[in-house]
Amino acid sequence: LQPPEKPLESEEWNRLRENFRLPEIFEEVMLNSMIRCNSPIDVAKSLLTYVAKRNGDIAYSVLVKYLTLCVQQGQVSEICDVYEIMKGRFKILEIGAYNVLIKGLSNSDQWRMALTLLEEAKKIMIPSRTSYESCIKAASCHQEMKLAFELYHEMLAKNVVPTLDVLQSLFDFSRGMNGAELQKELFGILLYLRENQIYPHKTFMWSIKLWFESIPGRKWRGHLTSIKDSGQCPVCNHQLEDSNLTEEEYNNLSERIIRDVIHGTDTFRKTSPQEFEAFQTFVENRLPFDIVIDGLNVSHIKPKRMHCENLLDAINCLAKDNVRLLVLGRKHMMINSSNWKREIMKEMQTKADFFFAENISEDDAFLLYATLRSGKHCKFVTRDFLRDHKACLSDSLTRHLFRKWQRGHQIVLKAMFFSVFSQQPAFQYDCVVQTTGDTWHIPYKDVFEEKYSYQVPRKWLCIQQKL
Amino acid sequence: MQSANKLLKTIVRSSILPVAAQHGIKRDLFPLSRTLSLSLCLKQDNSCKPSEKLDLDEWKKVMKSGLQEEVSEPQELSSLAAARETLGMWRLAGKLVPENVSEEELKTFMECPSKSAKKKYLKHLYLKELYKKNDKRKMEEKRQKRLEAQEQTSKTDETKRSPFLCLWASTMDKAYNWRAAQSMIFGQPLVFDMSYEKEMSVREVANTVKQLVQSEGCNRRAVDPFHIHFCNFKDDSLYHREFLKHYKEAWGKLLITVTEQCYTEVFPKDKLIYLTADSPKVMKTFDHDKIYIVGSMVDRSIKTGVSLARAKRLGLETAALPLDKYLLWNTGAKNLTLDQMMHILLTLKDTADWKKALEFVPKRKYCGFVAKPVSELKKTLDLVNTLKLGKRREEIQKQFAKNYPKKYKLK
Repeated sequence: LQPPEKPLESEEWNRLRENFRLPEIFEEVMLNSMIRCNSPIDVAKSLLTYVAKRNGDIAYSVLVKYLTLCVQQGQVSEICDVYEIMKGRFKILEIGAYNVLIKGLSNSDQWRMALTLLEEAKKIMIPSRTSYESCIKAASCHQEMKLAFELYHEMLAKNVVPTLDVLQSLFDFSRGMNGAELQKELFGILLYLRENQIYPHKTFMWSIKLWFESIPGRKWRGHLTSIKDSGQCPVCNHQLEDSNLTEEEYNNLSERIIRDVIHGTDTFRKTSPQEFEAFQTFVENRLPFDIVIDGLNVSHIKPKRMHCENLLDAINCLAKDNVRLLVLGRKHMMINSSNWKREIMKEMQTKADFFFAENISEDDAFLLYATLRSGKHCKFVTRDFLRDHKACLSDSLTRHLFRKWQRGHQIVLKAMFFSVFSQQPAFQYDCVVQTTGDTWHIPYKDVFEEKYSYQVPRKWLCIQQKL
Repeated sequence: MQSANKLLKTIVRSSILPVAAQHGIKRDLFPLSRTLSLSLCLKQDNSCKPSEKLDLDEWKKVMKSGLQEEVSEPQELSSLAAARETLGMWRLAGKLVPENVSEEELKTFMECPSKSAKKKYLKHLYLKELYKKNDKRKMEEKRQKRLEAQEQTSKTDETKRSPFLCLWASTMDKAYNWRAAQSMIFGQPLVFDMSYEKEMSVREVANTVKQLVQSEGCNRRAVDPFHIHFCNFKDDSLYHREFLKHYKEAWGKLLITVTEQCYTEVFPKDKLIYLTADSPKVMKTFDHDKIYIVGSMVDRSIKTGVSLARAKRLGLETAALPLDKYLLWNTGAKNLTLDQMMHILLTLKDTADWKKALEFVPKRKYCGFVAKPVSELKKTLDLVNTLKLGKRREEIQKQFAKNYPKKYKLK
């Protein structure tokens, strides 16, 4: 349905409507296509006039659509008029209309009205993220940073997650402004990024850098850099935080893994109490290990080779310098078969400790337990991202701990030519926004770079205070 | 001059109408106000461009004019009324919201933890209402037709004697009940494990009971019914309440065994087989001496290993249906509904024919049956692929390769 280019008269609208397949929804379909084509507002007005004349009333959904069109074109006075009419006509409005209204008004001189609308919307329901964000942007655009941050905190308190975009705008609009309070708030955003392990993208990073450098009298300087594998910043020679968890975090995490991942709602789902107990005594008697290997996962690295050969290669590759290895597997590996040769299994058992779980048990849970129980130095080998186990953890804080621990302790083997493995080592340093007071290190990602949740950025922004 | 007149007329009509609508008078007002509005409109017309004969903001007047009648003083609403009001607005905004909402439903709505949960719940209610309405309409149509048919027959037919008695539903019921009673003495037991209430949401329990009612129904109609046991059944549990909703007073007269005991207490352990999709063992044949257990659970969120864990805990043998062996699986989870399970087990029991039994697996879940020569299998697969065309083709081939890695090769 193509909307007309000029305002039409009632008769013409009538003709169009009668030719339409479903006359009952003609107005809505027409307005939808007007929104899509961004038709002139006068055309929509003439349609509304036609509808009003025919029915003596205009349906709410049609009004909202018209409102959307006005917002799309920034027709502020029209938005106010429609709001006036809606308020008079209906007892309350629903959240969708409020969202549109707030979005429309926040970009205009009437932005304060958007704030009152936000208050009204709160009475019905939690306003959407975009509503909050438009209000925050409007407030900060008019240099009302205090108000903007109040809204920001309110948003967080209601568990509405802000986009990076709005965080960036807070930095942008604070540029060159002075004030300890404001600085504290913006540092707060950076700490928010740290706590939630969020990485800013490149343009956001520039906003942060420019803001730092614009603070009057503080002489912050930012440099783009990449961190050495040792965890040292090449610009300021500062050593980044290492990836180890604190004692408390570590204990907390192991406890939660045992409780949520291994036992969960029912120990029998992943293992059985007898088996778990047997495994516990097995591990306690042989502690500590240096590397724990997920035998089945590793044995599938090269699909064309025998499973046990793959595993043997991996063990040979890792068994250097007297490291103590533990290989987790399942009982079916012990049965002589085309993929599992008894002699090779025997040979491997001289180089590493083996634990075989029941065929229907989940060996990953054992992997996590054995690694955590062995201590902070212990690493584990698997290509699995362990997402399902992370998902078993009940709160996001522990999930972040898990992710951090995983980054620092997981070794990923990759199959190269013939029998060579390349090791993707665990990170020495923690890849997260961090500060020492007079330096900030902020990892960022290129916008166009595809990033998976398990990948961490390699590029950093180093900010230091020149004294 | 004529055209000018016409123009004026249209203007008059367009500007007068809102006023007329406001007072609820249409025709009578025209002659009186003509002169007055004429002059007014002429002025307006001069100010506008000649091509624009329309007053674009006229709709605002209409909308505002309606206001005076229904001026509502803003008053604080109770939370329930406010929620009802919100629902009304959502409905106006074209969202999927039911027309009538009961007090109880409204409370459930308010207790929904998030906006999306609320929306989902409303959609559910909306669809429920829609189905109900459609059913009602169809019933009405049927009734109408029956009445018409009766009228016709009463005119024509006088004495149409049949050599057989007319078998009414109640007679059939008696026959079914007789068979069910037989099965309670001699039939093979089939256990439904009713211990999953904690794993399910209220809605899932309701779904479970619905499926159980259906299973019981189809078992009763079978030639050789099972002796159904509901084990681990707690009185006044959510299951129980839902059953009462469905069966009402018939609940006490059902020819099944309902017990609070566990199946391990009722039957010897070595005869029990727990049927679960997660089982590593695949069922080969239907054993008439064994007692099969089906978990009465609907898991919309696919909680893997719940029933397997239960069987493991009790040290029972487990089995899964050989779905992969006989069916070329397409999409969907391998767990089937309880009534589908019932149909499959009944058919297996009567015929021991896997193909016939697995007909009851929903058609959308599989592409075809595998108990055929490979060449034929390939043909059906090709057919399926050409039917689905495009991107799906590769997907299906990949799926096939995954499910049947070595045995058959495509092309």
